[in-house]
Amino acid sequence: MPRKTKEQTELENEKKETKKTSTTVKKTATKTKKATDTTKKSTAASKKTTTKSSINKKASTTKKATSTKKKSSVSKKVTKKSTDKKKVEILEYYDLPYRYNQTVVKVLAQTPTTLFIYWDISDTDRKTFIEKYGDNFFETTKPILIIHNDTLGYSFEVEINDFANSWYLHVSDSRSDYRIELGRRPINKVENFNTDYIFVSMSNEIESPNDKILFDNNQKMVYFRDIKTGIQTEKIVTSMSFIRNMGKIYNIYDLYKQIYQNENIEEIYDLSNPSS
Amino acid sequence: MQEKKGYVSFVLHAHLPFIHHPESDDYLEESWLYEAISETYIPLLTNFQKLVDEGVNFRITMSMTPPLLSMLDNKLLQRKYIKYLRRLIELSKKEIKRTAGDERLNKLSHYYFERYSNDLHLFKDIYNCNLIEAFKHFQDIGVLEIITCGATHGYFPILYVNEKTVKAQIGVGVQTYERYFGRKPRGIWLPECGYVPEADKYLKEFGIDYIITESHGILYADPTPVYGTFAPIVSPKGVVAFGRDMESSRQVWSSINGYPGDYNYREFYRDIGYEADYDYIKPYIAHNGVRVHTGIKYYRITGDTDFKDYYNVEWAKDSAEKQAGHFLDSRTNQINNVSEYMETPPIILCPYDAELYGHWWYEGPYWLYILFKKIYYDDCNFELITPSEYIDKYPNIQVASPCRSSWGANGYSEVWLNPSNDYVHRHLHVAGDRMCELANLYPNAKGLKKKALNQCARELLLAQSSDWLFIITNGTMVDYAKKRIKDHIGRFTKLYYQIKENNIEEEFLKDISKKDCVFPDIDYKIYL
Repeated sequence: MPRKTKEQTELENEKKETKKTSTTVKKTATKTKKATDTTKKSTAASKKTTTKSSINKKASTTKKATSTKKKSSVSKKVTKKSTDKKKVEILEYYDLPYRYNQTVVKVLAQTPTTLFIYWDISDTDRKTFIEKYGDNFFETTKPILIIHNDTLGYSFEVEINDFANSWYLHVSDSRSDYRIELGRRPINKVENFNTDYIFVSMSNEIESPNDKILFDNNQKMVYFRDIKTGIQTEKIVTSMSFIRNMGKIYNIYDLYKQIYQNENIEEIYDLSNPSS
Repeated sequence: MQEKKGYVSFVLHAHLPFIHHPESDDYLEESWLYEAISETYIPLLTNFQKLVDEGVNFRITMSMTPPLLSMLDNKLLQRKYIKYLRRLIELSKKEIKRTAGDERLNKLSHYYFERYSNDLHLFKDIYNCNLIEAFKHFQDIGVLEIITCGATHGYFPILYVNEKTVKAQIGVGVQTYERYFGRKPRGIWLPECGYVPEADKYLKEFGIDYIITESHGILYADPTPVYGTFAPIVSPKGVVAFGRDMESSRQVWSSINGYPGDYNYREFYRDIGYEADYDYIKPYIAHNGVRVHTGIKYYRITGDTDFKDYYNVEWAKDSAEKQAGHFLDSRTNQINNVSEYMETPPIILCPYDAELYGHWWYEGPYWLYILFKKIYYDDCNFELITPSEYIDKYPNIQVASPCRSSWGANGYSEVWLNPSNDYVHRHLHVAGDRMCELANLYPNAKGLKKKALNQCARELLLAQSSDWLFIITNGTMVDYAKKRIKDHIGRFTKLYYQIKENNIEEEFLKDISKKDCVFPDIDYKIYL
């Protein structure tokens, strides 16, 4: 895309800023509600694109990797045409770099069961693959993500595509350690590869959040620590007064049900009533 | 006198992103600070003072975030706030003339004139333009506990893939607190209540005793806390976590029957900035002529109708008093119920955005004032307490790991990580890694290079503000938020290369240091 002159861009940005920002104060009043709505919408939108393998495709990741911009910033010193001739102002215009030319896979947990993964392969690594596997390496192989659940000890694979550089992925298990492996497989088995899998990179490891009250019926002891002295003590669960009062097994819902006997506990216990 | 069976702890989170544009008067976003000062911070301070003057023993906790403190301390913004007040006083004077034919309206015009004139008097003559010192005073006399927050409200569950960036958020947050309050903070409001256990070691390193989490941060903890959110838990690394009480929270926040929706309360959306004759109001709206809120609002919520009645200050106060009574009764019942099941007195933690009080809920500060008076004078079964006081009194705490959580919609990271804003994260992560790289490359930098490295740290922190991601998700003033991300990542990246190439442009550094002048004492070595 042809770039406008820096001055033009600056001027337009300024205009745009003033215009856009002028209507914002009123809109922010709906902060809480809108945030919820938007999130719901995005979830709904991703659900629509769910494939058989429960992959949420990201529609906007269509750009193909090209070259790396070393510096994306433009700045210029100009002298204002005002009466204050001495004042030197630095005009700035920045774009975010399209990519950083690094081989990387990163995973984040959006929710307890939705992972967000982004990746890139550096030009040097691309060249190495081409040197090793031939000029058409990237055309004759397809990218895949292997999801490793290290807590429960299983892995599974999803096929992605070279037009994407990030992905939302549904996983079945919350409260698990996940690592994501980026690799490639030959599109046709007959290709001249002596392997059916080529490793590219491994992500960081994250633990997906817990999404439920943990029921541990076997738990017999509760541990307390005096934060002043550091002394740790233990109590037998059944000796604790509220548990004795309820005469039941260890269940936090029971405590809340007991306290809110006349109310709908689900309504009180509602995570969709956010503050932010 | 009734035996005290439990405690209630109010925690108000006062935060605004760092918005400082010495280069232009056209950034309306700067007015968020002025509105918050007039509608929230000054009303809170005056109500605290009233309570003290009346001999009411109360306790409240506030997190004052580092960007907010930096803005309150900024001389340019202080001058701009005075200018903002003068314009409002001028407008309310004109309003007194304009509404002369309507007695009820005229009374309200006088009300605004007095209110803004009083703000100017308080700000200039009483507080000497220094609201931080005014809040500090209440901390020093023991009624207010001020806690800190992440340096720029960076959201830990996304940043922690590079733990050093979380460390810097915590470390700079603590240092900024010390700069203004002369002591270490005991608590921290995790930005967006975003908890990750990986932050615990840094919280301990910087001397933090406790954090505030969303309810399920406690309820989903491992092992399950025996007292739910009615008692704190302590993580294996020694960080105490308090969880938000769901019932009291719902009474205030609920969009259906929450307190701020009372029909006698002031209607936020009916503002003369949108309603007055255009030529008349033009000098008091945006520089480019777009209508905006002025702060002068004449109507009450009235009901689910477009035909709004005039606001009546006394009626609004009546409603606030009734609701304070309702809140008091609800907590009394709740504590009666809960304390039966507990071996230590329960604590009901009530955390809110400070700006809810006064800005969104105009009568909120008055409601707090009445509530605190009632708690003190009425024979109720609980007392107000700060989290610090609670853990000092009841240091024996169940050991459990809080759940990874936030207070955003649905309780996790969807607000700050979704298809509208996920493109940002790789830039934040790379900039974080590069900052660590720079710190390791130049651990003993001096002179210009040191200045440049410190500015890099500021730019990175400013880019990490969770506000930009929230704004993009929210869909309002998105361009501003996107520009801020681009500007800070752009300035960071440019400096990163200049430092590595040993080619630092002094004028450029000077210019951006003036614009992004947050955290004057920052030391980039925090990224080592």
